[in-house]
Amino acid sequence: MESETLNLQTKREDDVLSARVGGRIDGSNAARFEEMLRSAIEESDRAVIMDFEQLLYISSAGLRAVLITAKSLWKQGTTFVLCSLSDQLTGVFASSGFDRMVKIRGSRSEALDSLDE
Amino acid sequence: MSAADDAGNNELLQFSVANDLREIAVAADRIDEFCSANGIPPATAYAINLSVDELLTNTISYGYEDGGEHRIDLMIRLDGDVLAVEISDDGIEFAPDSADDPDTNASIEDRPIGGLGIFLTRKMMDSFDYRRDEGRNIVTLTKKTGIASQENQ
Repeated sequence: MESETLNLQTKREDDVLSARVGGRIDGSNAARFEEMLRSAIEESDRAVIMDFEQLLYISSAGLRAVLITAKSLWKQGTTFVLCSLSDQLTGVFASSGFDRMVKIRGSRSEALDSLDE
Repeated sequence: MSAADDAGNNELLQFSVANDLREIAVAADRIDEFCSANGIPPATAYAINLSVDELLTNTISYGYEDGGEHRIDLMIRLDGDVLAVEISDDGIEFAPDSADDPDTNASIEDRPIGGLGIFLTRKMMDSFDYRRDEGRNIVTLTKKTGIASQENQ
């Protein structure tokens, strides 16, 4: 099995940025991932939804990039929601306590619904 | 030949990688192949991948002060229902027990960045041993694979 490379697709609708993350995030590309997010996010964004449906793997280096992004969004008052994590990713987010810091939803539509909560 | 070899009832994967972070994905491919060939459940395969990744990342990022090329040896052995991983390198000595566990209840504002790698590895594996032997760091990890419980379902 060949490792899938990291990829990020974003689109913006009504000041909500949806970011679909695919492949794997490890120590070799976490800094690049953080940089890709930084350049995609605008200060005027009302919310950022990060969709992990296609994300196969994340290590602590990737979690670090998620935390840095979450902190910067929190500072600028932008809502941050993660969605569609696999069982394995759910486990990593729970073990690290990230599920208590970041809003996580089962699907993209639930993530969108949560913006009105 | 060890007793385990005599029993003939184990699977062994040995390889080495260079001290280059891009090698982590190469190691992940080898481990995924080994796990799927041996029917190891995805959760266990993920735990093994994550642990190897975290240890390789630490060694490659902080273990060498000479800027030179080094090899890091990996050995993965499946013995019945237990997977053992051994990672051995000639990097500087490290102290895996020195860092405090991160505060997993901290708020987004207060949560410090970093300190998760070894913490996650310990959480995901059943045992974590470190020793320094003749100028090498040797980390041994074990985890029950869950193959037996899967077969009983």
